[in-house]
Amino acid sequence: MTISRRTLLKTAGVAAVVGVSQTLFPAWMPKLVFSPTAKAQAERDVLVAIFQRGGMDGLNAVVPYAEGVFYYDRRPTIAIPEQEVIDLDGFFGLHPALASLKDVYDTGALSIIHAAGSPDPSRSHFDAMAYMEKGIPGDKATTTGWISRHLQSAAWENDSPFRAVGIGTMVQSSLRGPVSALSLRSIADFHLQGREDHLSSIQQTIARMYQIEAPNDLLQAQARNVFSTVDLLQALNASDYQPANGAIYPDSDFGMGMKQIALLIKAGVGLEVACVDIGGWDTHEYQGGSDGEMANLLRDLGDGLAAFYTDLADYMHGVTVVSMSEFGRRVTENASQGTDHGHGNVMFVMGGGAVGGIHTDWPTLAPEALDDGDLEITTDYRDVLGEILVKRLGNNALDQIFPAYTVNARGIINER
Amino acid sequence: MPMNRRDFLKLGSMSVLSLALASKLQWSGARVAKATQSLSSEQLHVLNRVTWGITRADIDRINALGIEGYVDWALDADNIPDPLVEQFVATDPLYWQPYEHIEAIARDDFGIVYTAALHHRYFCAAYSEKQLYEVMVEFWTDHFNIPIEDYLVDKIMDDREVIRRHALGKFRDLLFASAQSPAMLYYLDNAYSYKDHPNENYAREVMELHTLGVDGGYTEQDVRELARILTGWGVRDGFNNRFYFDSYNHDTEEKVFLGRAFPAGRGIEEGLEALDMLATHPSTANYVCTKLVRRFTGDVPPQTLVDSAARVWQESDGDIKRVLRHILLSPEFTAATGQKFKRPLHFQVNILRAFAPHFEIYDENWIIWNTEALGQMPWGWHPPNGYPDVTTAWISTGTLLERWNLGMGMPQAVEDWWEGGRLEMDALIPQVTTAGELVDHVARQVLGGEVTDADREMLINFVTDNVGDQPISYEQRLDRIQTLMGLVFNSPYFQWY
Repeated sequence: MTISRRTLLKTAGVAAVVGVSQTLFPAWMPKLVFSPTAKAQAERDVLVAIFQRGGMDGLNAVVPYAEGVFYYDRRPTIAIPEQEVIDLDGFFGLHPALASLKDVYDTGALSIIHAAGSPDPSRSHFDAMAYMEKGIPGDKATTTGWISRHLQSAAWENDSPFRAVGIGTMVQSSLRGPVSALSLRSIADFHLQGREDHLSSIQQTIARMYQIEAPNDLLQAQARNVFSTVDLLQALNASDYQPANGAIYPDSDFGMGMKQIALLIKAGVGLEVACVDIGGWDTHEYQGGSDGEMANLLRDLGDGLAAFYTDLADYMHGVTVVSMSEFGRRVTENASQGTDHGHGNVMFVMGGGAVGGIHTDWPTLAPEALDDGDLEITTDYRDVLGEILVKRLGNNALDQIFPAYTVNARGIINER
Repeated sequence: MPMNRRDFLKLGSMSVLSLALASKLQWSGARVAKATQSLSSEQLHVLNRVTWGITRADIDRINALGIEGYVDWALDADNIPDPLVEQFVATDPLYWQPYEHIEAIARDDFGIVYTAALHHRYFCAAYSEKQLYEVMVEFWTDHFNIPIEDYLVDKIMDDREVIRRHALGKFRDLLFASAQSPAMLYYLDNAYSYKDHPNENYAREVMELHTLGVDGGYTEQDVRELARILTGWGVRDGFNNRFYFDSYNHDTEEKVFLGRAFPAGRGIEEGLEALDMLATHPSTANYVCTKLVRRFTGDVPPQTLVDSAARVWQESDGDIKRVLRHILLSPEFTAATGQKFKRPLHFQVNILRAFAPHFEIYDENWIIWNTEALGQMPWGWHPPNGYPDVTTAWISTGTLLERWNLGMGMPQAVEDWWEGGRLEMDALIPQVTTAGELVDHVARQVLGGEVTDADREMLINFVTDNVGDQPISYEQRLDRIQTLMGLVFNSPYFQWY
């Protein structure tokens, strides 16, 4: 391709639009104070919620290789051969591209929940994602996400703009709601630009036009977030972040997202919940087996999680990471050497509190055990999230976060 | 579900809360510019919604024709002369060359073709006289979303032969063209769907996203049956990547689709019959009209307008022009001012329109990458549902800052050290004697209207260093005008429409 991102950036650099290096806030503007006390943070985990968009094929991620023909005969071109699976317990094994996660697993900090997911039968990406992120399967009227309701119903105060952060250009549905979340694509170079001798007036005028001292709508609230974020990130020196313990994050959107979350956790800026996405799981054709398209995605996922674990070794006792995907995929591969939309799937929970190992009420892949040709769901994803919320995040208001559902804790995580 | 009193109250407080939030999102303050002597607020509203940004020519035209006359003029896009686009295509004809020609170039250099496609899209959106048509091209591009990077030349053909050909035509033609478009057949895998193992991807999405909507009354069984009906619909490689029905791979057994029996032994005709059922289905009228009304009114489409638009749809057999005319002249539309938040591409193109015709683009890539940084790379959305059309999806901390930086950066083109293009600011904004006149001219050029008195005063004070409205010298104007224009691009007025 002839378009070079570097050239373009250079072009922008040539432009004399000058970034601000001196303090951003003119004297007239009151500082937006926040108070993430060290004590408050110590009382509960930081939650990192990963959404694997597209519907991960859980049966090739954590392979029930001991199912034998029920697995291998239905997947003639994409099954992971038994000798290539990284065995976990004599029945399940990790996809070889998840090798770096095996190291985490061996420390006991990874719990794997199989045959999990959202009970709604929808095989639509968009419905299934919305149901999962809003936390109310089957209900389309709800406009708030489960994480937003968690923050709303929490008993404590935290007015840090970094309380809830979504990595990406759009706010995740789980974060949408009354507690406005910060969404960032990159925290390096996050500053307001303009002619240097006009900059103070520019800030003042924009701040007033958006009424950031008393925001009146979503846009004004986000404008206020911009100002406080710029100020804080400048103090953190975010562009120079070096991961600890030799951790190397994959050079991918997901890897960069995890790295930025690690930075925010270490900086102690009041982060409670972070959301990050990893897309591309809709493997309808040529998904590959031990190598190929899905293997690359799994490598990105596993390496990103492992780097995060290594980087945050000293913090992991207060961090819980949970992954989910809108649905699993059909047990039987299709004519395009891929898999269509299915049902049950795998969730990963990583952190100091995790009860390591495989947690599953395995429904088996026997023909009569399948749900419409798919892996049955025996663990509602809300059981996993609910247990984390109660045991690690100190929020018992599950009736508000997951209304009309009774969470059944499965022992996947320890009490703090 | 049995619910005790405590639970009930809790749920009650939750819904009060979401109501409070909804009312905030519906806030009806001074979001868009005020009317001027030459443009009423109703006219301003119509122009905001049916163009990619208001220009002086639009204002003159709506004054000459009135709102109804303007809408009819804009809908009759085939008869609108479009000299700038014709000149653009004459100078840079690659986009409209035959398939083999583009394909041969793309094989050598993907980037040339890719850039040409994107440049064509920006140019048409910004400078075509057929603005409502270009707005609808954008709508259908999302509705029948196909990302460009994997299907470059096929996607260009899809844009030409499906989206642009039928954007203001009949929905049935649009749907049939899309169903046989190689880019769509590849993207949603129908080209890889064979009788032994049907691939359900297209069958599902054509119902969920293109026609009936997810609640439109089909079942998982219908998805499987439609996938079987459409087996063999594929692409013939080597024949200009044209649609090709492969009877060998078609499932000729009996099927039942949406309650209708499809007898055994048929070929392509049963796929055509199934698509026809979808095109004429009442759920399709309802679903597509809901999206259209959302596009032209706001996040919460008024149900009365959805219903009446769906009736026009049914009566006119999915005539897109008639449905649009109905929506744009409805009281619900007129009432819905300032409810829409400009998506990044709109924001970017609107700036180009605010500069027209005194702006020359030197480096289109610079402009494209700016849109990408705001989260809306054209043809860059990977899932099949297209970029979201609701406010909550687009207002975010990070992209708001990027917007401000872009809005502040683009007027700097006047100095010529900004390499993306050159702006003739003196030609764009007339000479004035006072700071107040300067602010008014910039606001009208950018917004089509005026800002509130308080904001006007604040902008005047930026120009005069806080001494209020007074005469300004040419040097003062020169020193302030770019930042002043940047502030108007960055104001809330320019974000809503």
